[in-house]
Parts: sequence; C-alpha cells; structure tokens
Amino acid sequence: MNTTRRDFIRYCGMSAATLGLTVTDLLRLGEVLANPNGPSVLWLQGSACTGCSVSLLNRVSSQAPVTAGDLLINSINLEYHPNLMTASGVSAVEALDAAYARGGYVLAVEGGVPTAFGGAAGWAMTDASGHEVTIAEAVRKYGARAGAIISMGTCASWGGIPASGSNPAGIRSVGSFLGKPTVNVGGCPPHPDWMVWPIVQLLLNKPIATDSFGRPTGVFKTKVHERCPLKERDEAKYWGQPQRCLKSLGCRGPEAVAPCPTQRWNNGVNFCAEAGAPCLNCTSATFPGRNAFHKFPG
Amino acid sequence: MATTITIDPVTRIEGHLKLEVTADYVGGRQQVVDARAAGTLFRGFETILSGRDPFDAPDITARICGVCPTPHNQAAVAALDAAMGIEVPDNARLLRNLVLAADFLHSHILHFYQLAVLDFIEPPAMAPWTRGWTGDTRIDSATSASLVEHYVAALDARRKAHEMGAVFGGRLPHTAAFVGGGFTGTPTAARILQFRAYAAEVVAFVRDVYLPDVDAIAATYGDYFQIGAGPRNLLAFGCFEEDATGADKLLPRGRLAAGSATVAPVDVQDVTEDVAGSWYTGKNGVNPRSGTTSPTYPKANAYSWLKSPRYGTRVYEVGPLARMRVSGDYAGGVSVMDRHVARAAEAMKIGLALERWLDQLDPSAPLFADGALPESASGIGLTEAPRGALGHWLTVSNRTISRYQIVTPTCWNASPRDARGVRGALEQALVGTPVQHAEQPIEVLRVVHSFDPCLSCAVHVMRPGAGTPVSVLRGGAWASRAAALAYR
Repeated sequence: MNTTRRDFIRYCGMSAATLGLTVTDLLRLGEVLANPNGPSVLWLQGSACTGCSVSLLNRVSSQAPVTAGDLLINSINLEYHPNLMTASGVSAVEALDAAYARGGYVLAVEGGVPTAFGGAAGWAMTDASGHEVTIAEAVRKYGARAGAIISMGTCASWGGIPASGSNPAGIRSVGSFLGKPTVNVGGCPPHPDWMVWPIVQLLLNKPIATDSFGRPTGVFKTKVHERCPLKERDEAKYWGQPQRCLKSLGCRGPEAVAPCPTQRWNNGVNFCAEAGAPCLNCTSATFPGRNAFHKFPG
Repeated sequence: MATTITIDPVTRIEGHLKLEVTADYVGGRQQVVDARAAGTLFRGFETILSGRDPFDAPDITARICGVCPTPHNQAAVAALDAAMGIEVPDNARLLRNLVLAADFLHSHILHFYQLAVLDFIEPPAMAPWTRGWTGDTRIDSATSASLVEHYVAALDARRKAHEMGAVFGGRLPHTAAFVGGGFTGTPTAARILQFRAYAAEVVAFVRDVYLPDVDAIAATYGDYFQIGAGPRNLLAFGCFEEDATGADKLLPRGRLAAGSATVAPVDVQDVTEDVAGSWYTGKNGVNPRSGTTSPTYPKANAYSWLKSPRYGTRVYEVGPLARMRVSGDYAGGVSVMDRHVARAAEAMKIGLALERWLDQLDPSAPLFADGALPESASGIGLTEAPRGALGHWLTVSNRTISRYQIVTPTCWNASPRDARGVRGALEQALVGTPVQHAEQPIEVLRVVHSFDPCLSCAVHVMRPGAGTPVSVLRGGAWASRAAALAYR
C-alpha cells in the first residue's frame, strides 16, 4: 500500500495545472506525505446522506493517475471515517480520541449539525464511559483542536436539503454552529476534485482564498451557464430533446457557480445539462430553495 | 454472567446505527440473548417535502441516501407517474432500469469489499483499516492478501459502475435525469456504445472476482449459513420493469412466509408502520398512505429514530436474498452467508440484463409522456434499493405535496420493537449468534453487515444449543452455483 503515497504525488503532478500547484509545491507535498506521523484527517458525518463520501470514492483508481481517494485512503492518515474504517464502537472512538489528543488534524465534516431535541436528533457515537455523544457535541469537541475545518458539501457548508422547509431537525451549518468560518466545499454532492483541492492546499500550508460564501475561489469561480456548451442552442420545450439549452425548463445554470461543464463528472463522462437535466445549483448556499426545480413552458 | 455491550458507531454501513447486545451462556455456549438496534439520526424528509412542488420529489428524496440515491429517484418518479395516471415510453423505462442497475452494481460491489469483507480477513495495518477487534479470522494469509488486493480493484469497479450510470444519468451520485413522466438523457448510438463498454468491464469483475471471492469466504466461514436467520419472512416489491405496465419485472414482487415454499402476492394495503419503539407519536399499524411523521423525544419505551414497518403484523426481511428467493433464482436458506451469496448472484443477474435493455433502446423514440398532474392526486411508487424494498407514498393537494411517506428497506430490517414488543428483523437475526469475546463481538458485526444496513435509510432464530450440530460446508461453489441458477 506504500506505493500509493507516491502515486498520489504523481497524480498531483499530472493534475498540477487543475490543482494550481507549482513544482516547489509538489516537492513540499512529497516531504509532507513522506512523514509517517503526518497529516491526520478525521471525517465526521452529521446530518448527511454519505453522498459526499461516495463521490470522493469516484476518483479512486488502482492505476495511475491515482486520484482523490488516495489522498484520504492511502496518502494521509484517515484515522476516522465511519464508512471506511475497520474498527467499530469504542475501538473507533478510541482512534478518534487519539488523534484529538495530538490535535492539529484536518477535520472534514459531511452533513450539517442537528440541534433539535437538545441535539438528540443525531448522535455520533457512544464514548467509553457510556455517554451518548451528539453530533453537535462531537463537532464542537473535535473542531476545537483541529488545525483546519473543511465543510464537505452543501449540508455541512450551509445546511442543504435537511435544513430546508421547516428545518425539522434544527440543522445548522458547521460554521454557524461553531461561530467560525470553515472552508465550504459546495455541491450536493461536490465533485471529488473539489474536495481534494482544499486538503492539498492545507497540506502545503497554502492560504485558501474564499468567496463571500466561504467557497474556495480556486474551485468556484465561473458560472455554469457561461461555460455550458448548450448555451447558444435553442431552448428545450420538454424533456428528452437532445442538445438544447434547458433554461426554459428551469435550469439554474445562469446563477450556479461551479466548473461542471469544463471539469465534467464521473471521470469526465458527462454532466447534468448534457444529460438533458437542468442544473439545480446544488453548490449554492440557498440550495434547494423553496421554488420548484423545474418549469414547464407553454 | 450476562454482558451488555454498546457498539456505537457501527462502522462500515451507511448512516448512524447504534447497537446494544447482551451476551450470555446458554447451554454452555456464549451467545447473543438480546439486541436493540437504534437509528440515531432524525432528518424529517417527509416534513421537508410538504408544501413543495410534486416534481421536486425525485431530486429531494435522492438525498436521503448517497449510496443508493437512484432507487429514491425511481420510487418518486413511479409515484408521480401513478399520480398522473400515465405509462412512460419504453425508452424512459429502459433508461431508468439502466441507471438504477448501475447504482445496484456499484452498491453491491461496495458492500462486499469496502463494508463487509473486513470482518473476515486480516486487514492492512494502517489507517483507516487498523483493526479494532481480533479473533476468529480463519482465512489463510494468501486468500486474505488477495482479498485486500481485490478491495482496491473493487474501488475501481464500483467507480466504473457509477461512470456507467452517468452515461445516461449525467452524474452519480444524485442524478438529475429522473423526471415524472420520463427521463431526460437521450440514448444516442455513441452513448449506448459507451454504456456497453462499461457494462462489459463491470460484469467481468462480478463474474471473475466478486463471485469467486464470495465462494472463498462462504467456504471458509460455512457455519455462517446457520447464523443470523432472523424472522425468515421475505418480502420484495420488485424492480426493473420489463413492460410498460410494470407487471413483468426482472426481479418480481412477492413474499415468502417463513417455512413456506409458495410465493404469495403483496397487497400494498397490508404494509403498516408502528411507532411504539420509535421517537414519533401517532397510531400503530397505520398504512403509509395515511401515515404521519411527528418526532417526539424523549418518549417512554422508544429507542430509535426508525419506525417499524410490518406486513400485516409480521416482521419481514427485505433485500437481495428476499428478491432472489422470491424470483426463484436462489434456493438456499436465510442466514449471513445466504445474504452474501444471493447478493453476488443478483449482481450477476442484473449485469446480464444490461445488454438486453441496451438492445431495446430506440435513439429516435420519445423519452417523455406528456401527462397532467391533477390539482389533487395520489400515487404510490414501489421499487427496490440494493438493500431491499422501497416505497414512496405521495399525496398532492392544490398542486403541492400535502403528504409524503417513505418506507425504506433499512426500516424493515433494522426496526425497533413494534407495538407487540416483537423485535425487528436485524434484532431477531442477532439473537442466538454465538460470540467468542463478548467485549469484541466480531460475530455481531458479521450479522449486521450481511443486511447491508443503510440508516441514512434470534430466538425465533434457532438457538444453537448443545447438541445442535453446526454443519460446516467446505469448498462449495455457493455463489457460482447460485449465479448459474440465476441465468439458467
């Protein structure tokens, strides 16, 4: 499994342009990753669907270029991840607390923080003393000694779908709950490269510039519609008309800030509008909003 | 002396599950004598949907689960189609099948390698695989090493299954291409070719790697054909429609009561939900059509955020084993290992259907049936998620959603005790499970993982007392045999 650390660096080398890395950065990344005691990542899940984690796995490959998943699975010490770790129960909590004692880790949070019923709308774990730790308590505790906190996905960043409507579980974003800004990787789910990007920046000790919503501007800089290959086409009037602009069906591409049309999804296979599906603007702080996703012209 | 252990979090599942198991000696043998399974997260999707545009339901409900979002897309569009009273064109039906199948294949592969197999092998000594519990690892080191290699290969295979789904769905997880009345993505000749190439790769992985690996685990841990039975009532709503009416399905609807060899029909009116053991108020035994979601915490005798679905008053297990038994493709029993074998065989059966559906696509035919949704209407969408039967109950008033009830597979499987005090299927399956080390009950994890619980979604079991021989099956090509049955 050790070769995968090298593979990750090779991936970063091959993707240096998209990730915004220089040769010096790559050398420093090599040093960071060569350190066996080096960067710990703890991944907590709040009011989430696991979609962010699954999207992250969509960049895992056993062949070069080795990709995003290697960052979290092989190239750093992913000491806590509820879906992937072998240990369960108290053994899992012990792993988490060992990293907590050392401090300085990267805390990735997937999902918002449920606050209804005094936090009882969501528990994260039961500790060795038998105390049921709510997600709210866990985010506060493990956030306190983190070197950096990344909100992975729209739910952790701004609440997302579970916080919409009457917000029955009292969901709050990680940043508003902790009262401090987090790096907000928008997307429901985010593209895997958007999740890798801030982790690489943190490993390199580079500052992460963000927009007014906390989204890294290195990733979130252009509107979907501006780069959409369908924008000059006739507008579709109903579903399943190939190669049409989807504005009249409710496409939110003109407002959405995300590189989907150029980066594309699932290893470059496609993206929503190319499959005739309107952009839902899932990277926005107001997703899903109250308005209907779709319009039906005429 | 009885030992009670809390396992929280149960890892390598989807979502938040807490288990409390009590182990004690019965007939000289330590085993689980009681179990409580608790879903520890409340999200309230049913409340969130209320007041929204009905056509938003597919995209909102997909976010219930990032591992199996597409079944929610499918259930929601089926409910909308029913509310509009339309049948979708063949192209839309086939494209929905194909993207749903991609999600099944990704999920089954992910489940065996990333979630379940670590209970049976010696994992690499590094995060996140550092082992918490030791004991009862019987597999030889060469097979163990090969399974670790396949863990990595499986990451590739499941990623490709998602890429396959994105060919028509735009992206996965959370495709936006499922719409009430049809499907948005056009099946051009180039896209069909692209899907076909992915299908060949994914099916080859299932045939050449996944099936033999399940055989290897089943051969070594043959006693798990006798462990973790649960209620032995099996229920399938069925999925992958083969005709416009949906009457003919690749995996048919039906149920098998424990001990019965006859598949009985499913009457959707007989689906009920109890809230006695759940943090909700409301009546017990209510059909989801008139169900409510009123969270209440704390509440006496309640210990889970899951409701307790029942068929009539009976506890049923759902999932690949239920589907493959109902379809007649699998003739085994009900146990931990039968679940793994049936799941792998089902992956192969679905994989082999892809070519046929691709052949039936017509690039020039419509994808969408123009139907009008009445001011007030209702519709039920029944389908299957990789982990079992899924139902959406939609009620529309004044063109908005007035009620939405969702019954997920993991509610069937991991439900708490019902109004009659009867344990849920997983709780039942755990009781009677032999345990070597009560403080580190790896056997309990094996039972839990066999259900592939998705929370984001047995005493009745025979107690293997003294003198009950546990047969160990050796070298049997179980998965391959089941797979051979599947495409006879």
